[in-house]
Amino acid sequence: MIRRSIRPHTALALGVLSVLLLLAAYTALAIRQYHRNPDDTTIPRWNQLQKGFVSAIEVNKRSGDRWLVADALASGQRLFLGLGCGILAAFGLGLLMGCSPCAEAALNPPLSLLAKVPPTAALAVFFVLVGTGNNMYVAMIAFGILPTLAMTVYLAVKEFPDELLFKAYTLGASNTEVVWNIIVRQVLPRFIDAVRLSIGPAMVYLIAAEMVVGDVGFGYRIRLQSKLLNMSVVYPYLALLAGFGFGMDYLLTRARRRLCPWYQAAS
Amino acid sequence: MSPSILPSPALDIQGVSHGFGAKPVLHDVTLRLHRGQFLSLVGPSGCGKSTLLRAIVGTHPPRQGAIRTFPMNRGSEGVAVLGPGRDRGIVYQQYSLFPFLTARQNVAIGLMLDETGIPFRFFRWPRWRRLRRQHLRQAEEMLVSVRLGDALDLYPHEMSGGMRQRVALAQAMILRPEIILLDEPFGALDEATRQDLQEMLVDLYQKNRHAQESGGMPSLTLIIVTHELNEAIYVGDRVVGLSQYWNWRADGHSACPGATVVYDKPAPVFDLRTQREFERFAAQRNEIRHVVFEPSSQYPRHQHVTYDQESGAPANA
Repeated sequence: MIRRSIRPHTALALGVLSVLLLLAAYTALAIRQYHRNPDDTTIPRWNQLQKGFVSAIEVNKRSGDRWLVADALASGQRLFLGLGCGILAAFGLGLLMGCSPCAEAALNPPLSLLAKVPPTAALAVFFVLVGTGNNMYVAMIAFGILPTLAMTVYLAVKEFPDELLFKAYTLGASNTEVVWNIIVRQVLPRFIDAVRLSIGPAMVYLIAAEMVVGDVGFGYRIRLQSKLLNMSVVYPYLALLAGFGFGMDYLLTRARRRLCPWYQAAS
Repeated sequence: MSPSILPSPALDIQGVSHGFGAKPVLHDVTLRLHRGQFLSLVGPSGCGKSTLLRAIVGTHPPRQGAIRTFPMNRGSEGVAVLGPGRDRGIVYQQYSLFPFLTARQNVAIGLMLDETGIPFRFFRWPRWRRLRRQHLRQAEEMLVSVRLGDALDLYPHEMSGGMRQRVALAQAMILRPEIILLDEPFGALDEATRQDLQEMLVDLYQKNRHAQESGGMPSLTLIIVTHELNEAIYVGDRVVGLSQYWNWRADGHSACPGATVVYDKPAPVFDLRTQREFERFAAQRNEIRHVVFEPSSQYPRHQHVTYDQESGAPANA
């Protein structure tokens, strides 16, 4: 029968099995490639991958720093600053638009327009406006995630039932209290979910921009090492990016469960 | 049984008219409620019951007319309703509870919003924490009194519809508002739960009467909007019918100017000891159905507005 439920153990075993299968297939592919050409670097074996990873974390003789540390610091700083600015601005804008019809009428058109411009395509604009260096990346990420995030907040506020607003007023709430104690609390879980979804695009924007104009950072390193066919460095970098994405997602989900225990079952 | 006569006014609605765009909804609605009165508001759908209720809450001021309340400490002149305020509580059919608060927090939030402000809660949080504990205790007592002592920490989505409406009543009543407005509060509930909650209201009414008999002021005035006539007659001591079906031609209008009060009569008062016998007010039910709900009814607007004569209260000014 379709959708017949299975035992949790079976589900777990199936998941583990498919990941193992993937790894085994990669190993077989790498060994076959090794037998064809022992000097090949496109499908590195596990010990080659290990060497590549070590070369990324030990002090590099030519540049005198550790690649991974330098890249992580640069990309991390850009990503978190960009996300932080974007999140704060989007939350403020969304709230303002949801609460004030004037702001709604004034800000809706520019925001919809802005949302249609691919931020990486507009990189030159940020370069002209805020200069090179980290500011450019930060501005690009912030503006990239802002429209969607602000829209999410705005729509969530708009969806808030009138009755609950009136209810709050009949309980003696002031306007500030309605926003701070009622609307923000109601919108928070959806905002956290929207932030979770915006981390992916933010990473895409950053990596793409670093590939084009960076001199340090994950995007720069991946592009450089890809050109040299040093896949033994590229794959660990990709794995780290994936791990970072997973970690952020996990943390934000935990934060949402912790801050909004009411949300899970209500939606 | 004639309802109690209370000289002290609680709410005064004078000549309220309202419309949406060119479409008239309410026409010259005039009502005066006495303190302690439980008024049932009935009428066909689209007659503006909710519009009138919103005008009383103050969220949607009427185009014409004035609404005054008479808070205990503000003299006999009354205060014009200019916006929502904590003297008028409201319970909606749904969306009365904040989904992100537990039952206890939902009841306590009124005390928080009413007694404190953001600066106090932010800058003097040791005192605020002490006060908060006290609020939560008060909320707990309130919930126990509506028989929800074992649901204190449930979120609204974890409660049944009946429980939610009990919490909503507790939430509105903890501020001791002088007027409580119920907008089809039990419309989404099953029959048994509905009866249970109706009895809760009848019990409140009895408490009002006891307070009055022992020389005090009845503390609660209530307006319940309902489409269930049995409920209207059972819960209220006065039934008001709002309807767009009346003889407006006789008043010189060429098109219907909106719904107005076409029925206003006392309703029998029950207490919880007497059996609920709906046959007892079958006659009144039929009369309301005929006068208020029948599209072809063409009675002059004052023909069935006889509450003041029948109850002996002073006529509307």
